[in-house]
Amino acid sequence: MDGSLLMLALIVGGCNWAFRFLPTKLDLSGQAPEGVLARFLAATGPAAIATLFVASVLPMVSGDWAKMAPLGAGVLAVVAVFAWRRSVVQATLAGAAVYGAVFALV
Amino acid sequence: MSDRATNPPGFLSGLNQALPIAMGYFPIAFSFGVAATRAGLTEAEAVMLSVVIYAGAAQFLALALITSGAPLLVSAFTLVAMNLRHVLYGPALLKRAGAGARTRHAWAWAFGLTDEVFGAALGAMARGKAGFSEPFMFGLGIGAYAAWISGTAVGAFAGGGALEGWPVLDAALGFMLPALFLSLLLSILTRAQLPVIAIAGAVTVGLTLAVSSTAGILGGMVAGALTGVLGLARGAGDGR
Repeated sequence: MDGSLLMLALIVGGCNWAFRFLPTKLDLSGQAPEGVLARFLAATGPAAIATLFVASVLPMVSGDWAKMAPLGAGVLAVVAVFAWRRSVVQATLAGAAVYGAVFALV
Repeated sequence: MSDRATNPPGFLSGLNQALPIAMGYFPIAFSFGVAATRAGLTEAEAVMLSVVIYAGAAQFLALALITSGAPLLVSAFTLVAMNLRHVLYGPALLKRAGAGARTRHAWAWAFGLTDEVFGAALGAMARGKAGFSEPFMFGLGIGAYAAWISGTAVGAFAGGGALEGWPVLDAALGFMLPALFLSLLLSILTRAQLPVIAIAGAVTVGLTLAVSSTAGILGGMVAGALTGVLGLARGAGDGR
């Protein structure tokens, strides 16, 4: 096993554990809702997820509308199923299924 | 346990609530296992990433960073920053659970507090399907974790060429990650967060096209978070 890969996994996994566990032991109720830390924490999640969505979709963007059809259909399916079921899992699976179906058709 | 006396959701109840998560996690983890072996990792390395990191988006990004040759510390910082949002989950969950919630074994079950597990736990409590207990959290977390690891293992051992004869399935699995990110984005979306999301997305596109994908991801996250700090997104985070 590659040593640097293991080191990377341990650093990231350790921080993940700390991010998920330590706040269960800390009393964050004293944080001012409008404080800098509170605003930073509140904005980090949406910023990270929006960034990752854009970064993952960018390589799929093309000037060829036939190639774009699966992407458009997949995105619409995710939005529609999430609006209907409010389920991340179901919306994700539906988006992938519709993407694959349209990919097969065009 | 005192919380079990008043509202006794146990381990099996947690496992039951984990079923829909497991159904979603397995194919995503499968595609991660396939992608990892495609990127040149061994089967053991792919499974190790799922066991140790256990964060889907971060693992896919780790593959991109590894194959792009990014330095270890840059990769670690990027991946750690990506999961910073998880610090909010524990307090949010315990606030919902109430003052009597016990966290004696949180050092163990909290590792499983992924986006989906957090959402499922909060949702189950909100819908009145379950209260909070540590056995419940263990059941919920172990069900999801097992699906993630087994999916990775099956995908990794199937190998990078496993889907060559199945182009439609390959395409569908390739869209699984963007679909997951979009779903997660929708799940936390509020009007107040729109400036954060818009700026993060715009900076990501600009830096990716002008510099590199790594710069785009880092720059997008920082720009979006700074938008929140600067107060352009008052009330961001209320969506949870």
